[in-house]
Amino acid sequence: MNFLRTLPGALVVPLAAWITYLFLMVPSLIVIPISFGGAGELEFPPRVWTLDLYRQFFNDPTWWGSLMESLKVAALVTVLTTVLGVPAAYALQRTNLPGRAVLNGLAMGPLLVPVIVLALGLYLQLAPIGFLNRTATVVLAHTMLAIPFMMVSVGAALRHLDPAYEQVALIMGAGRVRIFFRVVLPQLRAGIAAGALFAFLISLDEVIVAYFITGPETMTLPVKMYSALRWEVSPVIAAVSTLLTVISLVFALGLMWLERRDRNA
Amino acid sequence: MHDETPYLGRWAGLALLLPMALLLAAFFVYPLAQTIWQSVYEHGFTARAYENLATSTLFFKVLQTTFVISLTATLVSLLAGYPVALHLSRLEPSRRVPYLVMVMLPFWTSILVKSFALTVILGYDGVINRALSFVFGEPIHIPMVFNRVGAILGMINYLLPFMILSILGSLLAQDANLARAAEVMGASRFTIFRRITLPLSMPGVLAGVLINFTLSIGMYITPALLGGRQDMMMANLIDFYTRQTLDWPLASAIAVVLLVISGVLVAMLGRVRGAGGMTEMAR
Repeated sequence: MNFLRTLPGALVVPLAAWITYLFLMVPSLIVIPISFGGAGELEFPPRVWTLDLYRQFFNDPTWWGSLMESLKVAALVTVLTTVLGVPAAYALQRTNLPGRAVLNGLAMGPLLVPVIVLALGLYLQLAPIGFLNRTATVVLAHTMLAIPFMMVSVGAALRHLDPAYEQVALIMGAGRVRIFFRVVLPQLRAGIAAGALFAFLISLDEVIVAYFITGPETMTLPVKMYSALRWEVSPVIAAVSTLLTVISLVFALGLMWLERRDRNA
Repeated sequence: MHDETPYLGRWAGLALLLPMALLLAAFFVYPLAQTIWQSVYEHGFTARAYENLATSTLFFKVLQTTFVISLTATLVSLLAGYPVALHLSRLEPSRRVPYLVMVMLPFWTSILVKSFALTVILGYDGVINRALSFVFGEPIHIPMVFNRVGAILGMINYLLPFMILSILGSLLAQDANLARAAEVMGASRFTIFRRITLPLSMPGVLAGVLINFTLSIGMYITPALLGGRQDMMMANLIDFYTRQTLDWPLASAIAVVLLVISGVLVAMLGRVRGAGGMTEMAR
């Protein structure tokens, strides 16, 4: 009797959960089989299995070029975010400068403001002085968007760091620069790596800001894809989607692996 | 025990912070200031842009659409996300990982990829319509995309991970002894859920709702790609005035309105979750 009464409850939750799991997964994964279908029509499941769409992608310099541009931008953003973010996160924890809280809040700011507002602001700032359509501005804008993620990752790693190591090194006569590079940085490795992966992915997937401030020569892959989706849904998009999903997935799994290793360490 | 002595001098600290501060000043603070300035200054101070907005039927229609779509998407993701959070919270921590990967998959997938996939799944001759046609033996074309349903479904797919993780947090924080005590005293599973689990998860629900609503009202890509002509949201209107009619002050005024609304929502979220609420979600 008791069993019968609890049965519906025991079934309802997993059933409802699985409907949502499917809705979460299917849109991200369905592009993979579609991308191996023919170039004629988008179909699931595909009637024929070919690599035609990938051939189209790699033979079209506008697609191929925008992928290269995106990878270049994302790589530069990753380096810049690390170079700017790591020392800043360290300084925020190891000094008591006035205005520290303000700067900390400011570094989180890009996360709290709707991206469309930032995109408009950057457009209004760059358009009158002729700075649209440049790789450098896209890199700097994406770095701004990625900074909060680096600050959170490195900040968390710093909080777990025992200041005693630095004290010991200081007592034993190491200089501050040496302490930073030999004592602090090695212990922050996982946090920095996580922040860098975030930065790369954010830049690689970012559409709105790039759509506002890039031009024909600096178009990133998401911008090219967005225009293609709006004006002519060509089957090549399935191949592009699969490439993007695979890249994201590799990086996301890398992040999860880092986090697990972190927790076990 | 935390050491009180700072390890870096004033100048060293400043030198380390300065590069990032400069970048944020030039590419975050300045653009925001520029937007606010542009909304009130055209050859002298003026409230022209805001007056135009106050009398614009298009603006109020878009504002209403934004709120209706955002609210619907938020509530549906709450209803769809709660069972998932509950399911996850009842699993052994070691068995939770593959399920969490499923939840985080859309979080890591490009929004363009998901939008494209949804047009293929929900389209006129899409996967669902063809499956239905096959089952019922006659052509079925239920319109599910390039209309409000499509826009909302696309947004829910984007919002769900945030909602699920927020609720999961407050479910896992609950003391399991409470439920055990209730069980010993003869409460049914449903009673335990209704009287203990659900009320104690309200902070997570509230935070999830606020996060989802804040993210929704600024959405640009999903309504543009999955919605119809009638489903223009505030972000799309900003783009329209920026690049179609070149009325930059008006575009800025709408951006300021959006900024104020999301500022209020973020402040509310801060009160619900403590200052780290939003950044915690980023992890």
